[in-house]
Amino acid sequence: MTRHMKFTTLTAMLALAGGAVTAADKTLDIGVSDALTGGAAVYGLPQANAVQMAAEEINAAGGIKVGEDTYMLNVIAYDDKANPTEATNAVRKLIDRDGVKFILGFCCSGATGAVASFIANEDAVMLVGNAAERSITTREISNLVRTRPPADYTGAAAGTFVAQKGHKKVAVLGALDVGFYASYVDAFETELKKTGGEIITRESFGLKDRDMSPQLTKIRELQPDAILVVGYVEPAAFIYRQAIELGIDVPRYGFTSGSEEQFLRVATSEQMEGVWDLRPTELTLLSASDNGIAYHANYSEKFGIAPSPSSPYAYDQTYALKHALEAAGTVEDTAAVAAALREMPIPAEVVMQYLPVDGKMFDVNGQAYTSNGAFQWQSGNWVFVQDLPSDAAAYSAFLSTID
Amino acid sequence: MIEILQQIVNGVAIGGVYVLIALGLTTVFGILGIAHFAHGSVSMFGGYLTFFMVTAWGFPLLLAILIALIVGFLLGMLIELLAYRPVRNANHINAFIVALGLTMMVEGLNLQFFGHEQVVIPTNLARVFDIGGVTIPELRLYVIIAAALLIIAMTLFVEKTKTGQAIRAVAENRDAAILMGVNVKTIPLVVFAISTALGVCAGVMVGSLFAIAPGIGEWLVVKGFAVLILGGLGSIPGAIVGGLVLGVTEALAAGFISSAYKDVIAFVVMIAVLLLRPQGLMGKA
Repeated sequence: MTRHMKFTTLTAMLALAGGAVTAADKTLDIGVSDALTGGAAVYGLPQANAVQMAAEEINAAGGIKVGEDTYMLNVIAYDDKANPTEATNAVRKLIDRDGVKFILGFCCSGATGAVASFIANEDAVMLVGNAAERSITTREISNLVRTRPPADYTGAAAGTFVAQKGHKKVAVLGALDVGFYASYVDAFETELKKTGGEIITRESFGLKDRDMSPQLTKIRELQPDAILVVGYVEPAAFIYRQAIELGIDVPRYGFTSGSEEQFLRVATSEQMEGVWDLRPTELTLLSASDNGIAYHANYSEKFGIAPSPSSPYAYDQTYALKHALEAAGTVEDTAAVAAALREMPIPAEVVMQYLPVDGKMFDVNGQAYTSNGAFQWQSGNWVFVQDLPSDAAAYSAFLSTID
Repeated sequence: MIEILQQIVNGVAIGGVYVLIALGLTTVFGILGIAHFAHGSVSMFGGYLTFFMVTAWGFPLLLAILIALIVGFLLGMLIELLAYRPVRNANHINAFIVALGLTMMVEGLNLQFFGHEQVVIPTNLARVFDIGGVTIPELRLYVIIAAALLIIAMTLFVEKTKTGQAIRAVAENRDAAILMGVNVKTIPLVVFAISTALGVCAGVMVGSLFAIAPGIGEWLVVKGFAVLILGGLGSIPGAIVGGLVLGVTEALAAGFISSAYKDVIAFVVMIAVLLLRPQGLMGKA
């Protein structure tokens, strides 16, 4: 049975079991294009799960009321493997074959950028989740919104934080051939330089690399005050482990958004102790709002695994869409729904802690902003330590100046 | 100086894994002329199997490795019997297509049985040794030692045993080997069994040092073939030297030139070697 069929059947069964579907109810198909397999599935699969869970919650609560009609959500999910070609095919299938007008998910920037390049010409609304490449929301695409803030928005805040810690020589090890990681580091460096600090080396690794000892050996010889690791969870976990094995005893900062479970598959808690993750204030149980705590519990119970910190971006997409549909009063007029998304306040059900711009969840570029936070690994958990300086309104104004 | 030594140690550990993969590939290629692309995926199967036995069934690591080796040995024979033997006398393109199909099949089976998640074989080997400023994690040290022992065992087997001599004879001249009374029907079975068992060892090493995940097998087999060409097609000493050269070159390139281009640099070195010695480092002209 395909994942698509599984999701469809599951949704229908749960809705029926809950007695939510009546003869008068209609079904609204919503699509998910995300990495359900492959290296990026650590981000994509939890996002797809989150959309599924939100849809079931919405259905169980009576569905979406649009004018006189009530719609039950049916999720159709396709695996885009975080690959631009696969994502294009998945979205084409959703639009052309399945007749879907609302497409969610999108964990990864390469695949998302490919879809964003043509979505403006489609009768559809695209809601982007975890993909952090800045250019996704600088193209003035009126039918696209994104719940995750761009990487450089967070990188600047991280640079300020590390500079305030007094570090002057920072070594970077990252997936620097990925645009949004590079932009995080660029913004980080700009802020670091303001206090006389510098990045003494930029070492790279590929997404499938797991042996970072050559790069770490070089970094060790340069005697940095701190290291900054930017990349996907899996290689990052190896870096943290191998840095300890090589005796690198300096503060380790990162931008990875991995859960405890994901890191512990590779490194021990002792090897992770003291590592910082400087990222949007995503889900960690110790920093979560009531919504976040409930989300964590429900997700864990439903899927038998803790949610990844970034997965609520997709959960929040689903609720944002619900409110936009209700506000627009239509499921057919995608332009009206896209406009409603840009006008809506932050829904009460969302998990992430968004910073409104002019009282709205999404700014004129379709971009949402969360606060940024400094999380530290302490005794087996990511512990929220403090907010990072985050000025959503100023960044939004900056974003509007970019072509 | 310490940095150079450290990078060499880093390179030897990964180079040892390359050697094991290349040894399997080179014996198969040397005897049968088959580019056994599925070797990487089969190696990953061995790694996954070990991981599964350790984590799901609670087997001790060494016992799990032993069972995986036996399974690998039998699997190798099965692959030869069912996949390659039927096309042995056909055009070479047939074996090539079988190899590609087998790769996709084994990758698919790995996904079906073990899922898409990255897994790391737990070892509890967390100590780190410092020898004159050169740091060697305990696990890497054991990987280097195990790889060295396997290479020595393989070399002794090929050089000193009757079966090994028969393998070399078939590799040198199949027709002459038949005339000398070598049972050429059983040799491919033995070669595939040993080759797959070595691949399983490499899979376990990759799985414990780094991780096993979909796609890693492809990466491993690409490296294996690079070593094969660098060392000389069908040459066992060439596989050993080539694997170590590739591993150390990658480490030195990442450490002293550019981590972004370490693979590129390693392949440039390989091409440079082939320009000077087209037959590879240890291949026969």
